[in-house]
Amino acid sequence: MKTDIIISIENVTKKFKDGDGEFTALSNINLEFSKGEFAGFVGPSGSGKTTLLNIIGSLDSPTEGNALVMGKNIAGLSHKESALLRNKHIGFIFQVYNLLPVYTVFENVEFALLLQNYSASERKKRVMEALEWVGLQNMPDKKPSKLSGGEGQRVAIARAMVKRPEILIADEPTANLDAKNAHIILQMMKKLNEELDTTFLFSTHDEKVMEYLDRIVHLEDGKVVRDEVKNKVAAS
Amino acid sequence: MILAFQLAYRNLMGAGLRTWLNAAVLSFAFVIILFFNGLIDGWNQQAKLDNIEWEYGNGQLIHEDYDLFDPFSVQDGHGVLPVSEQENLVPILVRQASIYPEGRMLSISLKGIAEEQEIVGLPTHLLTNSTAEIPVIIGKRMASAANLRVNDEVLLRWRDVNGTFDAQHVTIVGIFDSNVPTIDNGQFWIPIKKLWEMTDMEGHATMFISTVDQPKEIPGWNFRSQEDLLRELTEIIEMKKASSSIMYILLLAIALLAIFDTQVLSIFRRQKEIGTYIALGMTRHQVVGLFTVEGSMYSIFAMILGCAYGVPLLIYLAATGIGIPEASQEMGVSIADRIYPVYGFALILGTIALVVISATIVSYLPARKIAKMDPVNAIKGKLQ
Ligand SMILES: Nc1ncnc2c1ncn2[C@@H]1O[C@H](COP(=O)(O)OP(=O)(O)OP(=O)(O)O)[C@@H](O)[C@H]1O
Ligand SMILES: [Mg+2]
Repeated sequence: MKTDIIISIENVTKKFKDGDGEFTALSNINLEFSKGEFAGFVGPSGSGKTTLLNIIGSLDSPTEGNALVMGKNIAGLSHKESALLRNKHIGFIFQVYNLLPVYTVFENVEFALLLQNYSASERKKRVMEALEWVGLQNMPDKKPSKLSGGEGQRVAIARAMVKRPEILIADEPTANLDAKNAHIILQMMKKLNEELDTTFLFSTHDEKVMEYLDRIVHLEDGKVVRDEVKNKVAAS
Repeated sequence: MILAFQLAYRNLMGAGLRTWLNAAVLSFAFVIILFFNGLIDGWNQQAKLDNIEWEYGNGQLIHEDYDLFDPFSVQDGHGVLPVSEQENLVPILVRQASIYPEGRMLSISLKGIAEEQEIVGLPTHLLTNSTAEIPVIIGKRMASAANLRVNDEVLLRWRDVNGTFDAQHVTIVGIFDSNVPTIDNGQFWIPIKKLWEMTDMEGHATMFISTVDQPKEIPGWNFRSQEDLLRELTEIIEMKKASSSIMYILLLAIALLAIFDTQVLSIFRRQKEIGTYIALGMTRHQVVGLFTVEGSMYSIFAMILGCAYGVPLLIYLAATGIGIPEASQEMGVSIADRIYPVYGFALILGTIALVVISATIVSYLPARKIAKMDPVNAIKGKLQ
């Protein structure tokens, strides 16, 4: 099983400057995630969920300890290397979608592929495929401002998944959605997780999300208080 | 890099009106810079041609004691050149004199010129054809200053070679219209033979207009080439160019300020977008590049926009010319009633470079800030 580990958090501590002193957002975290996991961080507000996801996503780096993602030590990466890691291997989904407002649905999804050197026809094929995954193949030319919340988040999923990343990071993806839409996107993500074997990492307060998760890591005050692995039964 | 252009293009097109407003302001600057410089270049070109056509010929051979800028040198700055040496040269003798139109006294330069000459545009044939005792041709400026018309007579007083005064009525046989004030203001042109008679200075000349580029050297006389003679004019026009540039530099500054402002604002407002770019795998430097290209692309749009209305406008103006008010013709520098702007290759390229480079710089300056942004805060849209 060891070879399947794609994220490994070793003694990670994250401190933020807080006025004159320091604030410890994460303290001494040890975790491992294998390929294809559908896992999430749960805990009260301020417990460090987002901070941990940002470190795994190489948007931030630990103050102490090592975060190894795809075999790379996050703290040791240059800007260029971490950009490359995100571009090729990590997809992000945010609470407020963060779609690029002036781009169409198609262009938003296409973005990650533009950064890599795909031909126009290859891009088109992949983008349309990704839009099909989330059921938006009929509105590639819409602007984000014309989309409903659920559609917006589905575009975000397509944008994150179009490059078929190994890891998908979703920070409270359902927080702005109603129950129906939340279930729709969770089902889509679960399906993608199974079909593409992508590792999903969530942070959430949402009971609905927890229903779908195979593994829930409970955080409190920057510490792991419980690491709960559920049966796969929950999803079906 | 191509990607940055592609993305910048999308962003700018997506931003719609704001983009076109910035591009419009910049395009005004672009068109006006072209127009003004074209106008001055057109003036320069025309003035050069006029000066060659009316005054300089292919250069001037000037008596070594004569200084154009020292009126007293007229007295002694003349000499005799053997006729055998006068090949390709048109003699001019300059004397000081006064006229008395309507009871006023005006000092003038009395200039004798070989009337059979054809090298300069002065209508000296009118002198030949006239039966008047002393025929004179003058320019339109002189005519209006002394209120003289063709066939008018006016009293002329001059000194002969010994300094003795003499006076006689002369007849205006022609008034010429030239853009060159230096052969017009305060000048009376008469046949040189007549002047020799009047002053008892047979064979003397102050200068010669050359009909060839390189006359042979003659001791006691200095040759000033066409280029040399035009240098002063070019300098005056260059100065004019520099002083008029203040105005379009201001206009350009306003346009650049608009871009700068848009950039600062958009970097501030688009933090979330910047964070998203980084999350999607762009490096910070790529994002800085993207925003810089976005800003400099305004200059490309400005150029396209400027071409849309500028090309027809500038071509039209180049064809019809610009009317120059009377007042500016008193300046003492050659200037036509109409100037036809010319837009040289160097001017166009230079203006494009100026606009593109300056737009890129003002876009880059605020964009540098992106490199210091924390992507985590940027994604949240938290100000830093
Ligand atoms: N850049 C920062 N500077 C200072 N403190 C920070 C910074 N980022 C996060 N923190 C602090 O670290 C702690 C953990 O924040 P984090 O955003 O990870 O919490 P969270 O579990 O995601 O909370 P929420 O459920 O509200 O999203 C919080 O107390 C927060 O105030
Ligand atoms: Mg959070």
